[in-house]
Amino acid sequence: MGMPPLLFCWVSFVLPLFVAAGNCTDVYMHHEMISEGQPFPFNCTYPPVTNGAVNLTWHRTPSKSPISINRHVRIHQDQSWILFLPLALEDSGIYQCVIKDAHSCYRIAINLTVFRKHWCDSSNEESSINSSDEYQQWLPIGKSGSLTCHLYFPESCVLDSIKWYKGCEEIKVSKKFCPTGTKLLVNNIDVEDSGSYACSARLTHLGRIFTVRNYIAVNTKEVGSGGRIPNITYPKNNSIEVQLGSTLIVDCNITDTKENTNLRCWRVNNTLVDDYYNDFKRIQEGIETNLSLRNHILYTVNITFLEVKMEDYGHPFTCHAAVSAAYIILKRPAPDFRAYLIGGLMAFLLLAVSILYIYNTFKVDIVLWYRSTFHTAQAPDDEKLYDAYVLYPKYPRESQGHDVDTLVLKILPEVLEKQCGYKLFIFGRDEFPGQAVASVIDENIKLCRRLMVLVAPETSSFSFLKNLTEEQIAVYNALVQDGMKVILIELERVKDYSTMPESIQYIRQKHGAIQWDGDFTEQAQCAKTKFWKKVRYHMPPRRYPASPPVQLLGHTPRIPG
Amino acid sequence: MNKDKELSAATPWFRHIQDLSSRVWVLQDNILTAVPRKEQTVPVTITLLPCQYLDTLEKNKGDPMYLGVKKPQSCLSCTKNGEQPVLQLREGNILDMYHQKERVKASLFYHKKSGTTSTFESAAFPGWFIAVCSKGSCPLVLTQELGKTFITDFEMTVVH
Repeated sequence: MGMPPLLFCWVSFVLPLFVAAGNCTDVYMHHEMISEGQPFPFNCTYPPVTNGAVNLTWHRTPSKSPISINRHVRIHQDQSWILFLPLALEDSGIYQCVIKDAHSCYRIAINLTVFRKHWCDSSNEESSINSSDEYQQWLPIGKSGSLTCHLYFPESCVLDSIKWYKGCEEIKVSKKFCPTGTKLLVNNIDVEDSGSYACSARLTHLGRIFTVRNYIAVNTKEVGSGGRIPNITYPKNNSIEVQLGSTLIVDCNITDTKENTNLRCWRVNNTLVDDYYNDFKRIQEGIETNLSLRNHILYTVNITFLEVKMEDYGHPFTCHAAVSAAYIILKRPAPDFRAYLIGGLMAFLLLAVSILYIYNTFKVDIVLWYRSTFHTAQAPDDEKLYDAYVLYPKYPRESQGHDVDTLVLKILPEVLEKQCGYKLFIFGRDEFPGQAVASVIDENIKLCRRLMVLVAPETSSFSFLKNLTEEQIAVYNALVQDGMKVILIELERVKDYSTMPESIQYIRQKHGAIQWDGDFTEQAQCAKTKFWKKVRYHMPPRRYPASPPVQLLGHTPRIPG
Repeated sequence: MNKDKELSAATPWFRHIQDLSSRVWVLQDNILTAVPRKEQTVPVTITLLPCQYLDTLEKNKGDPMYLGVKKPQSCLSCTKNGEQPVLQLREGNILDMYHQKERVKASLFYHKKSGTTSTFESAAFPGWFIAVCSKGSCPLVLTQELGKTFITDFEMTVVH
């Protein structure tokens, strides 16, 4: 009966020891190198372990006995801290902290190396070389910065009287330096501010005073303007004219700081271009390239349109660089204004030339058509009895005279009077018997709208010999009176008008002449032939029966003699 | 061509990060910790990649960035522990997050720059910032108390 209780006790005794020893997890080992003679603290913390009910003990390996908790002992445990007041060379070694809670056990170790170091003691130059205990900090050139005196001790330690040193000289308050708490503010930093610094502090612990000293190696370095938003130099929220169906590549140019962590990309509808057009890859973002300059970097990211489509016009494609953005909008090219202007001008000129040509070609027909169509609007009642006064040369020879007489006395009345309805006063046919020549011409011309003069190459000598007075009087009166129009008809080709009377020359020059083709056939007596069209064109608009005639002199029979 | 473009566009930035007291981020037992920098200190290389897909993310909060650790390859991740968000490292590659269209908000931080200093606000827990204690060595945590006990301003140094 005595055996079971003993076995139980034995098992109980062994089991806890086994659990405690075997289940502790070894965590990260810290390494510290520190110079002798000054206080050194180390806080045992392990983040996964919350501030619950934990058991924490320090001990130095390989010993199992815990570090003393008596605060008057040089090396002691202060809650989670192990504190050396001060360090001695023989303190080098490994110290372990064991953290236990209800569920777990962790072991954290620190490998402590203590060495001898003489600060600002020229007699021991070699000892000053060791820099493994130095803090490393940096200052930005051209700006203001600060150095930190790292003082981290348990609450039982009181720290004050912080002093700063550059090299071996204490730093006083100045424009350049301003000690503030555990920091040293440095203004207008330049390269010469790099070097060896130190800070010291007075530590009071249970009435005993110690000096803490930190060594700081300081570097200076250039920094950018820092956090400046990137500058997009192109695009500039501008539009680009591009033909439908063409290829287009647009570069986005960005300037940014060297230390930037900005994303550069093209977006449409706030979606990456490569995603938005993922199906057909018709529009793609290109590879980003960069060019390093002294203080910044020049980036280029392009967007490529393999084939511009109608849907691409009118909405923005935006280049982004962090918070900066700029867009392009595609537009169809505006029509070439000059091309349109020249084209329009050419078309206008062509039209004008065409119209002029047509008018010149068909002028006679157009006017005659107009008269026949709108005859009621024409033919003002000017109280004239005759439409034309016909004056023609008379030849002594029978043959020539016959031709002229045939034209004047037969064909002319046939066409103009019978076919066209004009009334003609033909000198030699319609004058009253016995009238004086001058009187006849003067009085009768006044009754006519036109003067029709028939000329021939031999007219001048003929007229001079026989009808000089008659022709001159007639022409003179025609020219003087109301600008009466004269119709000049050449019976034959007249090559030289210089032998003609001056008045005839004047008329020829001003009004031109109609060429008689000498055709006496039946066909020539048709009002629609070219010659007669011209004559009709120059004749006044025709009067119609509705207009009441003022006088009815008509055709008085000619008295022979 | 497309692959070259992808590689070019998706190269992470590498940075060392420290606070204004020159306490640098290091990795201790897979825990991001800020320690005063000394000669033998080995800063951790933080990887950053911008988030490409911005819809539903808040404007004017800074650039959305994925944060990770280069070696061992992992991501900073914000998760809830009880009532409080906590920051931890998770195995993973931020390059994968960069490429996928769905945002991984747990590893997304709004990176806001002011001069040469940066803050990192959790996208999963708006108002909570990556922070460190004001003295000594301590792990990175999340806090929503700005300008008090914790330090939330950091500086980044380019790593080549």
